[in-house]
Amino acid sequence: MTSDRIRILDGNIFVLSEDNGDIIDVRTNPCGFFELDTRFLSRWVLSVNGERLHPLAVHEPHYFEARFFLVPGTPTHYVDAKVSVIRERSIAGISFEERLTVLNHCPTAAEYVLHIEVDSDFAPVLAVEQRRVAPGRLYRRVEEGHLRLGYVRERFWRETTISADDPVEIDERGLTFRVRLDRNARWTTTLHVTGRVLRPDGEDVRNRLHRRRRPGRPELRRDLRRWLTNAPRLSCDWDTMTHTYQRSLVDLAGLRYSPLTLPTQAMPAAGLPWAATITGRDSVLTSLQALPVVPELAAATLRMLGIDQSTVLDDFREEEPGKILREFRYGEMAAFEEHPLSPYFGSADVTPLYVILLDEYERWTGDVDLVREFEAEARAALRWIDEYGDIRGDGYVWYQRRNERTGLVNQCWKDSPDAISYRDGRLPGQPRATCELQGYAYDAKRRGARLAREIWHDPAYADRLEREAAELKRRFNRDFWIADGEYYALALDGDGERVDALSSNIGHLLWSGIVDEARAGKIVEHLLGPALFSGWGVRTLGAGQGRYNPLGYHVGTVWPFDNALIAWGLRRYGYRREAGVIAEGIIAASAYFDGRMPEAFAGFDRELTRYPVRYPTANSPQALATGATFLLLRTLLGLEPYGEYLVVAPEVPARFGRIELLDIPGRWGRMDAIGTVHPGARTSPVA
Amino acid sequence: MSDATAQFFAQLGRHGHERLLRKTSGTIRFDLTRPGGVDHWLVTITHGQVRVSREKAAADAVIGADEQLFERMARGEVKPLPAWLRNDITAEGRFRFVLLLERLFDPPPGARHPRSVPPISREVR
Repeated sequence: MTSDRIRILDGNIFVLSEDNGDIIDVRTNPCGFFELDTRFLSRWVLSVNGERLHPLAVHEPHYFEARFFLVPGTPTHYVDAKVSVIRERSIAGISFEERLTVLNHCPTAAEYVLHIEVDSDFAPVLAVEQRRVAPGRLYRRVEEGHLRLGYVRERFWRETTISADDPVEIDERGLTFRVRLDRNARWTTTLHVTGRVLRPDGEDVRNRLHRRRRPGRPELRRDLRRWLTNAPRLSCDWDTMTHTYQRSLVDLAGLRYSPLTLPTQAMPAAGLPWAATITGRDSVLTSLQALPVVPELAAATLRMLGIDQSTVLDDFREEEPGKILREFRYGEMAAFEEHPLSPYFGSADVTPLYVILLDEYERWTGDVDLVREFEAEARAALRWIDEYGDIRGDGYVWYQRRNERTGLVNQCWKDSPDAISYRDGRLPGQPRATCELQGYAYDAKRRGARLAREIWHDPAYADRLEREAAELKRRFNRDFWIADGEYYALALDGDGERVDALSSNIGHLLWSGIVDEARAGKIVEHLLGPALFSGWGVRTLGAGQGRYNPLGYHVGTVWPFDNALIAWGLRRYGYRREAGVIAEGIIAASAYFDGRMPEAFAGFDRELTRYPVRYPTANSPQALATGATFLLLRTLLGLEPYGEYLVVAPEVPARFGRIELLDIPGRWGRMDAIGTVHPGARTSPVA
Repeated sequence: MSDATAQFFAQLGRHGHERLLRKTSGTIRFDLTRPGGVDHWLVTITHGQVRVSREKAAADAVIGADEQLFERMARGEVKPLPAWLRNDITAEGRFRFVLLLERLFDPPPGARHPRSVPPISREVR
């Protein structure tokens, strides 16, 4: 449903509109101009002589600009417009700008009345789908040359100002231009919409903080060119792969975001429209996936999340010392603690993932300084695993919410309330220890041990971590294994019993390396078997499980990032062909989304629908999905840092043909990787 | 200035704060409004060591707050970040020092260790 929206963005500032450029508030399909988790415009409707406009063409040259070519009325079988309008829209600095051009096609002079209806509800982005009555006071004010819309609740204050470059009549509901055009003449004006976050003294809070001025359009264009030039160049015989790679690079560029805390660096925001903000899991996993193309994202992510690491216990925010945050929001509901998102720490996976990213980042870049600088944070994260993650004191990582009103029931990546279930569909009690959390803990300890030995020069600590990891692996393979199904349980419940649903989580275990060599074959059979593999990718939950639903967010859909991690895991255990099957399925699916990897798509059998069905409310672009493209490429080419070198060991399915990824950045400088199809390879049956 | 505020800064100056990391350095000035005036406190952090003085000097970050609200923050009852989002406190300068504030204050009262939360049993059909 968000699929038909035209979107422009720059990190945490974005505009979603209909295909004629209008913003009309529809609860189930949000439109608007958003910044810092607040909707600053909820209505922006253009008419000419009282008629709404219809798009003949929409062009999106860059992620921060769009162009609409419009005519009045609804075209029937032919268009006979006397007038047409071009709407050119961009994010420019902290404003949203719209240039309007009216073209008179009449053989005589004509008069046109252009009207733009304007309104804002100042809704927090997470509440735009609800029927929330704003507790504060909305106001509108017409002032010399501009319209001011505002929202005040106690001292909390947000304002939108709208102005134009040309003479305009302004009333509380909008702007009106009266234009007289000669035959074949044109007229142009530019509108400016600025969202402001005000202090009680009327100044924007951001003006008083050290930060870099937000780049305007020419700088954004230059920056995007530089970004694309610096990234490795891909050429592949399969056009879909090349196109998706290019699109992913651009999408990732658009999602870069400089938090107030780190004004000169950029980390990935999680996605549009729901999560254009700092997140733990999405930033860590996106940066991890993107290491082969933009390693510097990981440095910013590690810094930002390290600075915000918790040092206290807090029930409302589910904080514990050493924990890495889940997300940070700037909106009204976070401010007034209607939800705990300023910041919220309710996720058990981000803390071990933080250590994993720190290690993997150093392996790629050789940036030992950062590993030294964040030693205390990494040690605190590792301590969190044993002290606060291990709720039952049995050596596993568990979660149980302490904020029973607004905290999350599931604090793993599958965080919807019904995501963790038994095979028969029942829901387990709390606490819960999902299997992939144990894999992450195992991996974090092993990687922490490497950092301790090689960089922190603490061999005793390294030995201890390695011992603990080995012990965890032994115990895990005893307690999570479901003998009759021959796979790992999705979780343990509060009584230590197995939560026995068959899920994609078992694929993450391969990535972490916690799977006993002897059992890997069985796991691979499940992952590529009919219950889990849809033909496009691995479903989050196996078909036939009690709660399976091909359109269920975490109980049946296919997630590209989940599949990228699974493919990487298959590769780790030597199942290169199977990794290729998954990479091929996901890349093939991306073609149906014009190369923009969707957050998730339906788990229907490929045979049944022939095309992947988009999950209705998915974020797009979504950083995790965008990153999947890069990790799949890494997996296909078998890219692995080894000391100062980059090892390239390709295993390329026939569909891809030749893959060349040139100028891969890392501690080796720049390296090329070329993968060709093995002479004996056949196109896999799902192609 | 209130006794509680004076006591808080005296304590901070004497004992520093164990939740500050050794690599942390910088200055934070607190401008605390009370009936009849504004008190300035300068907290200087040098490699995790804290020194407190009463001066209106330039700082990496300047936090403006009502003294009563400040006391509640110092006791861990009010979190600085949501307070900033609500405009209950103001912040100028380098935002990373706003994130650091929590490390100077008491932890939230009454918070539980995850192990002390009673388990919940599974759904029965």
